[in-house]
Amino acid sequence: MTRIAWWMVESLSRLLDDGEREVVRGDLAECGTSAAHALREVIGLVIRRQAVLWCDWRPWFLIASVVIPIGLLLSYASRSWGVSSAHDVSIYWRFWDFSYLAVPGWRRDVIDVAVRIGSGCLALVGWSWTCGFVLGRLSRRTVWLTVLMFAVVVFFGTLGTTIAGQPPENPSLRYHVVFVVLPRFFRTFLVVLPLAWGAYHGSKASPLPLGPTLLGVAVLAGATFLVSQGLERSLVFGGLVRADPGPDGFLVSADDPRPLWFLSLVMMWPAAYVLKSLEPLSPRSRSASSGASGAARSRSR
Amino acid sequence: MQLGEFEYLMLTAVARLGEGAYGVAIRQEIQDATGRPCSLGALYTTIDRLEQKGLVKTSMGDPTPQRGGRPKRMVRITPKGTQAATTFYNAVMRASRGVAWSATK
Repeated sequence: MTRIAWWMVESLSRLLDDGEREVVRGDLAECGTSAAHALREVIGLVIRRQAVLWCDWRPWFLIASVVIPIGLLLSYASRSWGVSSAHDVSIYWRFWDFSYLAVPGWRRDVIDVAVRIGSGCLALVGWSWTCGFVLGRLSRRTVWLTVLMFAVVVFFGTLGTTIAGQPPENPSLRYHVVFVVLPRFFRTFLVVLPLAWGAYHGSKASPLPLGPTLLGVAVLAGATFLVSQGLERSLVFGGLVRADPGPDGFLVSADDPRPLWFLSLVMMWPAAYVLKSLEPLSPRSRSASSGASGAARSRSR
Repeated sequence: MQLGEFEYLMLTAVARLGEGAYGVAIRQEIQDATGRPCSLGALYTTIDRLEQKGLVKTSMGDPTPQRGGRPKRMVRITPKGTQAATTFYNAVMRASRGVAWSATK
């Protein structure tokens, strides 16, 4: 029990600044404090520090502009694309024949599916990474909490809705893999991990390399263009937005109205922020960031 | 400069300890003076607030074996801090004039 409490003290104190963490650990060692008391002390300090941070506008802005809206969109998109990709892959896996590639129509279909899955995966990774970057860069000291909230929204945003229809009474392994495992795989590996990766980069004060960043944002913009209708449909078929088939009465046809066309812009605003962070530092801010005042300003975020 | 009660207690403890004012010692002084426990959270957030107001200055002390090789956060009162504490003390003394608290119990 004591070892667990000390482990928790160690873990929680990581939420403090490096300097303060060392001072606090030193104080606890000097006083010979018991593990339970040390844990209470550290929890109290961490809560007070976090409370001060949340008095700032940045974490609230990030919750309102990134965590809830984009987290929810990524939740629907990752589920929808996870399921549709699983359908495509399982069908081709089952019926694959290389002779398909000799037939222009089949070949086109294979390419279409590959482009759709590839661009969907790229878009999920890119959107998530840029969101993580914004969370880390705009409010470094609350990043662990905002990333956690984002992950919760991604995993539970679709709770109570389904795109799988009525589940069978005794679901087969294939059903389980397609409708349960793959969407979670998409959410974990294409959303949450890139999000944490982006948050790690955003938290570091170092600037991003110009060339790779420009290329990455360009690729993400291209992928966003390719999947924009798929993103809107993930909300329609996910039950978040009422389906409107347009004049012809058929869904997923050319005349479907697109009242949610702006969602692509919403998903791209973190990428725009990433581009903004590429701006060269002014001489004043460069000297400040290398000095003690820069460190203090960085601490205050 | 407006001071709170706890801020005044801390400034007084820092002034009394002089060169030896750091986290554990300040906390002990406050606990001895008030008879109430003082948490690390209250201690360090108040030190930060006082530093932002320019009433104290802090610096990192040398690591000691007693602290597992970890440094102390040394605290020193500034002239502005001395003035603020003096103002607070004078206000309390003026307000207390003619009142005998020990007799009212």
